[in-house]
Amino acid sequence: MITPRALLEKSAPLLACIGLLCVWQVASLTLQTESFPTALEAIRAIPSILGDKESLVNIGASIRRMAIGLSLAVLFAIPLGLMMGRIKGVASFFNPLLMIIYPVPKAALMPIIMLWLGVGDVSKTLVIFLGVSLPIIYHSFQGGKAVEEKMLWSGAAMGLSAPQRMWRIVLPSALPEILTGCRTGLVLALITMVTSEMIARQSGAGNILFNALDMAQYDTVFAMIMVIGAMGILFDAAFEKLRGRLVRWSKPQHDMPLSFS
Amino acid sequence: MNPALNKVLLGITPIALFLALWQSLISFGYAPVTMLPPPGAVFLRLGQQLFTSDFLHEIAATLVRLFGGFGIAVVLGVTIGLAAAVSPGINAVVKPLVRVMAPIPKVALYPALLLILGFDHASKITLVAADALFPILLSTYYGAAMVEQKLIWSAMAAGTPRSQILFKVVLPAAMPSILTGCRIGLVISCIVVFLAEMITSTDGLGHMLVQAARTFQTVDMFVPLITISMLGLILNSLLHGLRTYLLRGFPEV
Repeated sequence: MITPRALLEKSAPLLACIGLLCVWQVASLTLQTESFPTALEAIRAIPSILGDKESLVNIGASIRRMAIGLSLAVLFAIPLGLMMGRIKGVASFFNPLLMIIYPVPKAALMPIIMLWLGVGDVSKTLVIFLGVSLPIIYHSFQGGKAVEEKMLWSGAAMGLSAPQRMWRIVLPSALPEILTGCRTGLVLALITMVTSEMIARQSGAGNILFNALDMAQYDTVFAMIMVIGAMGILFDAAFEKLRGRLVRWSKPQHDMPLSFS
Repeated sequence: MNPALNKVLLGITPIALFLALWQSLISFGYAPVTMLPPPGAVFLRLGQQLFTSDFLHEIAATLVRLFGGFGIAVVLGVTIGLAAAVSPGINAVVKPLVRVMAPIPKVALYPALLLILGFDHASKITLVAADALFPILLSTYYGAAMVEQKLIWSAMAAGTPRSQILFKVVLPAAMPSILTGCRIGLVISCIVVFLAEMITSTDGLGHMLVQAARTFQTVDMFVPLITISMLGLILNSLLHGLRTYLLRGFPEV
């Protein structure tokens, strides 16, 4: 039996979406400029984007690059972060370097990487990989550092070797924190993907967006923004479901990671 | 050797290695100088430019946008975050909105901002503010929501009027968390302002990079990147200084 209150809570994000769309509609009706279409006009332009084969292929290619970059980053960043968390020397070795790299916008490396590797998939995937790695390293580092020493001692006493302790004790107990990092990474991957395509302007979702802007198809611009925004919300919600399953045992933490960028 | 010095040395090693690798790629002929300028040339150019008024003008344009956006984000984020933590009614409205808006890639909104606000400062400042807002808002909210009830009770028992509890108890108690959010927001601001300038701009560091890329001046491409990294480091350490000042008397976190 669903109580009205629970129902309201479940549908709150949906209501928020509708509310935002209403605000948009009202704002564009009051501003009355040609370059700011109403929400309804933008929604009407969505089917023509999703129905067009070429733009679907473009968006698909974007998502593929994002998935490859993200998985490479996960494979690389989690072990590195956990090692930094457990071994002091590794941490003080990498920390200053990471601190210098952190404020550099990774998508800004795009023009330089394009010089070396061309405009193809490799450079865009590399940029996504770079952008996503840092938050995952950071969160794995925090998670690895917070593992209780006693558990490691008991593991050692029961004859687990150091790599086994890493795999059987450190990884599971740092998992909630690591997954928070991955969630940030997921949103960041989407952002880096869009930005790198806006800068390289050759294919992909970001390119559709700016081409429409150049050709003054303003309803397409706003429709594409909605498509990208919906992708962000959907990926995030899907990952949240997955995370809920993987770490059901852990105390519910912040239900939102802090470091969206 | 004392451990602190050891740590510093260990930290400098990878940076030195990185620079050595960079230099050796060129020295041993793996990368032509036109594609990858030697680090010496890049830093030399940075040193020369640092005292030209053009370059300082670009930095100033970037900083105005950065601080404008970041400032708006701090004010809005802290206000909304505190309000949501204190009042359940506001929380019920803010929470679903944040849930929906936080995972949207804000850069995608940039074309819309361009159309609505024009190509000038306003659209870039808004983008920076939108991106930096959510980490600050969320960390303020979590910090204020987790203030120990006992602190509030003791303040009330000591005669603090209800209207002052928010500023005398909740805000200071949430300060560490707020400052953490601000640090994340600051790094994000650095990144976003640069990207926005790269996409469309007529001045600023990001514009310098795009301009250099169009004319294949590789040395000039590295200069703005190194500048933004150093700006980020400087601002970060300033914020760290503010943090130690504001949180004097707090137990070390």
